Amino acid sequence: MNVEFLNPFVEAARDVFLAETKLEVTRGAIRLEASAFTADEVTVLISLVGEVRGVVLFGLSEATCLALVGRMMSQAFETLDPLAQSGIAELGNVITGRASVKLSEAGFASNISPPTLIRGSGVTLSTLEFKRISVPLINEIGEINVHLALEQSPVDRQGENHIPILDFDSDKDGAVP
Amino acid sequence: MNVKFLNPFIDAVYEVLEAETSLQVQRGSLSLETDPYLTQDVTVVIGMVGQIEGSVFYGMSYTMALNLVSRMMGEAYEYFDTLAQSGIAELGNVITGRASIKLADSGYEATLSPPTLIEGADATISTLDNPRLVVPLTSEVGDMVIHLALRERTNFSLSTPQIETPAAPSLL
Repeated sequence: MNVEFLNPFVEAARDVFLAETKLEVTRGAIRLEASAFTADEVTVLISLVGEVRGVVLFGLSEATCLALVGRMMSQAFETLDPLAQSGIAELGNVITGRASVKLSEAGFASNISPPTLIRGSGVTLSTLEFKRISVPLINEIGEINVHLALEQSPVDRQGENHIPILDFDSDKDGAVP
Repeated sequence: MNVKFLNPFIDAVYEVLEAETSLQVQRGSLSLETDPYLTQDVTVVIGMVGQIEGSVFYGMSYTMALNLVSRMMGEAYEYFDTLAQSGIAELGNVITGRASIKLADSGYEATLSPPTLIEGADATISTLDNPRLVVPLTSEVGDMVIHLALRERTNFSLSTPQIETPAAPSLL
């Protein structure tokens, strides 16, 4: 996990929060973590593939989530209904998309997956051998925990799928042609 | 979710479980779900990006996960420790990777993200407006479910948020 991947996300979050919710965000203390962590009530998960690859997770409480989407859409949300869910997922999507543009400009091109939304505090999430950089983004409504488990793809395998264990065909190394 | 994405995953699961764990699996009836997935004890999540994009989930109980890992490693595992976790995640990775090779042979190129492991039953994972094809699998050591929330990307090029703004040419 390369710390230079962090700033694009913090800057992207600042830009997007200002544009979508008119909120200023500041970042809290950065932590480097290796083990599994207990998820927040709501987590948006987005994958990156390309010259930088891995997983980005945005975790927040349900209350903060409802308040944020309420501000984004200028209506009050009592429950995390499908519209609110798609709102928070879209927020994560736009932040990650914007960060991936900045990462491209820094020389790390990538593409992002559609978001998935995980709900249920008390579950544990593990990014396995990928260490995570975690940073809270603080604004007047609440905090969003951003977790980045990203690595620079090995130069000769960018965009290819690395199939490590098995080798069904002796003449292929598992790379997608 | 296009059903033609299904067979590469079914074939990949059969082949990989046979090779890694010497298990035969049978597939149960398929269903298409739009409600969020209610997690089992262990879920592996893998994202795919490319001409096909979306997520693949592999869900199973702790018992099944430990049985699979024990078979893969050739020794009995009683606790779902970090080695077992990475074994199960890797199994999901290899199955998805093998499926992606078959999909590429059919003309659908996609790249996998690294796996994420979620532990804890009764959480929900929503794939939002992407419905999931749910594939139950049974074997003599337990059951597993695969969820495929995949869609074809008709124009695989950089999407709007990712288009770079061209640098202004220098006047000097």
